[in-house]
Amino acid sequence: MTQDNTWRRTVNERAAAVTITVDGRPLRARAGETVATAMLAHGAAFDRDRTGARRAPLCNMGTCFECAATVDGRPLTRTCLVPAREDMAVQTQGRL
Amino acid sequence: MFDLAIIGAGPAGMAAALTAADHGLRVVVIDEQGRAGGQIFRRPPETFTGSEFRPTAGYEWATALIRRFEADTRVVGRFGWSAIGILHEDAEPDTLCVAVNHPTRGTGMITARRLLIATGAYDLPVAFPGWTLPGVMAAGGVQTLVKAQKVAPAGEVVLAGAHPLLLLVADLLVGNGVPVREVAFAQSIPAPAEMLRALNAVPGHLRMLAETGTVLTRLLRRGVRVSPRTVVTAAHGTEHVSRVTLTRVDRRWQAKGAPRDVAASHLVVGYGFVASTELARQAGCELTFDSPRGGWVVAHDERLRTSVPGVSVAGEPAGVAGADASRAEGALAALALAADLGRPVPAAAFTEAERAVARAARFSTVVQRVFEPDREALGRLATQETTICRCEMVSRGNVDDFLASAPFVTDVNAVKLSCRTGMGPCQGRYCENTVAGVLAAARDQPIGLGGRFSAHLPVKPVPVGDLGALDTPLPEPGATPRDIN
Repeated sequence: MTQDNTWRRTVNERAAAVTITVDGRPLRARAGETVATAMLAHGAAFDRDRTGARRAPLCNMGTCFECAATVDGRPLTRTCLVPAREDMAVQTQGRL
Repeated sequence: MFDLAIIGAGPAGMAAALTAADHGLRVVVIDEQGRAGGQIFRRPPETFTGSEFRPTAGYEWATALIRRFEADTRVVGRFGWSAIGILHEDAEPDTLCVAVNHPTRGTGMITARRLLIATGAYDLPVAFPGWTLPGVMAAGGVQTLVKAQKVAPAGEVVLAGAHPLLLLVADLLVGNGVPVREVAFAQSIPAPAEMLRALNAVPGHLRMLAETGTVLTRLLRRGVRVSPRTVVTAAHGTEHVSRVTLTRVDRRWQAKGAPRDVAASHLVVGYGFVASTELARQAGCELTFDSPRGGWVVAHDERLRTSVPGVSVAGEPAGVAGADASRAEGALAALALAADLGRPVPAAAFTEAERAVARAARFSTVVQRVFEPDREALGRLATQETTICRCEMVSRGNVDDFLASAPFVTDVNAVKLSCRTGMGPCQGRYCENTVAGVLAAARDQPIGLGGRFSAHLPVKPVPVGDLGALDTPLPEPGATPRDIN
């Protein structure tokens, strides 16, 4: 799931740490951070397309749906719009 | 029931909400983001302490506008909610219903007598080989990640495009310690640079683009390579971008000379903006194709009323023109809506608002002309193997083959129905422009002649179970008007 981190957090003025799971693996995020941001900062993989190629967020504003995942059982949730919350469960597989 | 529902809390939506409330309207503002400001004034989450909001130079008014908006208890905010469709209430002819969806709360309905569509714009998608690789990102996406989410690319970055936003993003990256390898501009640099200087002479000018000139100078001084007449023609890598190909182009953005490769882990693409019109399309508003103003834009009269009774438009969907124009249009649209609903609006208020719109237009018209993307040239960047519809994995070859086999197809919707371009979750937002370019090239007709994708409810996909709640009114908050997530 992880690879070399391609994004890094630039400041530490964030709220309390929360733990979310992405495809079953725990991932530390900061409250208020979006799920997509936490995933980018940890090098977590987003979904793959039908050819098996990786995809990643393109717009970070809710229009491209490349960051969509199943979040707490709700499919096609745009992770760039959802703040990370304790115990949030993110499943990346199964894009439409 | 509200008097006015506003979709979008950017400069247009905020200005409209305050103006409407000043004229006694009960207003609700719906926005997908957690806080007001729109994309141009995206702010860090409230939980990020010490991250003060500083608007881009030239938009110093934004801080006061946001503060006024957030302090105004008359306006009801629905933040974190997406507007997914507009429905007419047959039983009550003067009522519009806005279907809204929330990532955890599901679907509900907000009813209002009037509607203002202030849905903004997004980065113009351009399909070229490798554009689906992780590490390729839209300029606006990178900007909001850096300034509002406080993360930055961890490797070397190349930026490519044709819009001044690219320079602001490059400057933001350099300021955050990100190594910027190169900024490739499709235009020749002297022309925009001269224009930027000339804009100081535009009456009531905005300083945003003058600031861009300063930024260009600063980037050059810091040793960032800024390449004129250069476009990105490919991104390479297996799981992530590792290098990009840049190619010199002529005045018409046609490739000339040998391509060269630059090592990079991130590619930021910024060719301009597309007006976000899907909600207006779904509502049945007439649109017109106006390339320099963002492609398909919502037709409107001089007071921002669309062709659908009760529905107005403001900001980028009315024609991409920047934050000043958006704010001015929001205020004017709200005055007109208040007057339509029988509230007294002094003629002087209209005169002032119309003057502000005209002032902003004088500036934006120059900008639109200089930075208009060459859509034909961008359409040629996709090769036969290039994926043009990211959601449904349709290649340019798929579309070209279909067009060759169906010589009478001249409409993008026919391509959509036959090739599935635009039928995935993004619903055509990321392929419409490319499909239009491919069709125009195949038929040797202007891009606007191919029409546009139609939009249906929900304009943003929601779990199918949520649609059952479409007739459920969203409870109207009483004492606590703010509804942030």
